[in-house]
Amino acid sequence: MSYRVLLTLLLALATQPNVCTAASAEPETKLKGAVNEVLSVANRSNSKAAIATGVRPLLQRYISFETMTRRAVGPGWRSFDSSQQARATQLFTTLVIRTYANKFTPGQLPEIQYRAATEPATGRVDVPTTVVYQGNRYTVTYRIEQPGWLITDVVIEGVSMIANYRSQLDATFKKGGAEAVVQSLESSVSKQP
Amino acid sequence: MKTVVLLSLSVSLLASCATPKVGQHPAANTPVEATAKEKLLKSEATDDLDDYADAGQVNDPLEKLNRVTFWLNDGFYTVFFRPLSKGYEKVLPKFVRRGIDNVFENVKYPVRMANCVLQGKGERAGLETQKFVTNTLIGVGGLVRVSDKINPIADIPAEDCGQTLAQWGFGHGPYIVIPLFGPSSLREFVGLAGDYAAHPANYGLYLYNGNGNHDWMYIPPPSNTLRSMPDQLEKYDAATQEAVDPYLSARTAYIQQRDEAAKK
Repeated sequence: MSYRVLLTLLLALATQPNVCTAASAEPETKLKGAVNEVLSVANRSNSKAAIATGVRPLLQRYISFETMTRRAVGPGWRSFDSSQQARATQLFTTLVIRTYANKFTPGQLPEIQYRAATEPATGRVDVPTTVVYQGNRYTVTYRIEQPGWLITDVVIEGVSMIANYRSQLDATFKKGGAEAVVQSLESSVSKQP
Repeated sequence: MKTVVLLSLSVSLLASCATPKVGQHPAANTPVEATAKEKLLKSEATDDLDDYADAGQVNDPLEKLNRVTFWLNDGFYTVFFRPLSKGYEKVLPKFVRRGIDNVFENVKYPVRMANCVLQGKGERAGLETQKFVTNTLIGVGGLVRVSDKINPIADIPAEDCGQTLAQWGFGHGPYIVIPLFGPSSLREFVGLAGDYAAHPANYGLYLYNGNGNHDWMYIPPPSNTLRSMPDQLEKYDAATQEAVDPYLSARTAYIQQRDEAAKK
């Protein structure tokens, strides 16, 4: 490769906005590792239930379920006592893992392309990916945050999982308070999809 | 004719309750109001990075009626659409269904193209045309989506009338659940009517309606509905299955999805 080509290439890379900056390198590497681990578990499992059980410890390492639950509940969270917070987090964790595992069909692995990450705020990196699964294309964006660069949201085709639950749980809280939220989560978890 | 009347009626309705983004009502954008909104959002936030307070929110003055329609639709899906969709998936093998999907999507090119132009997205209009020509010529009339393997035209965001209205500054207006069809808003419903009118699969209806020698014209529109049913039901299930309140979940998911599409 001639120097001129190399130079143009480097220049092009350097002028691309928000691409692979030092800030996003760490969360991106971490995300790729997490996704690869999840895929290998999904590949070994032969049922959706097995995927859910298999990925649980992995997801607990890479996802901040505490942040997810707090934001999914919304401002009502402040009036939850600590046992209600713990129960809500535990139930919501199960719900998220099941929702995630349900997206896989055992034996069929998605093809994932990582696109340029952005940094919408300090301590937050969004990594957009294109997922080709069973012939369909989806845009899936992972929201990753400090401390620990943990995943705090998964946005599929523009639909944020947390925003979706926020609208439901906030409405539930406004109607019946913390207990109603915990109960609604309990009944969702116990429902067999 | 009916569609045109419906369309013009809806446009005038929409215009009366639209929220222009720029210009027309400078008072709506005063810093005081922005701060008040910011304050409200901040008070709703559970931490510094929490920006979910207004995500996927929409005006829903007809919620009671909408919930009833939503519930009736759900029952209708279970009784009619699901068996129909399952039957379709059983009768035709996957590669045939994919081919049919590809043909219908390819033939919808004028809708995407026109909306690129209406939004002033010249480059995207060009890419759409390249994609259409490639898939029609090399992909045997659109049966094979060859464009998937060609990077610049593999993943072009599909424009439609709802997105054009959004880009022109129209807000959603009230949220509406349409019988059988499901989630929509006034703006998106008008957009949908436009898309339907412009979709070449429906051209036969206007060209030959009332002419007994052209009964074939009744085939493409319901075929298009049937072939898209499995995908639509999958989307519906994804939004409702693990929900605490399926109505709110479907509403938030729909609005987020349409807002995201309009941004692209």
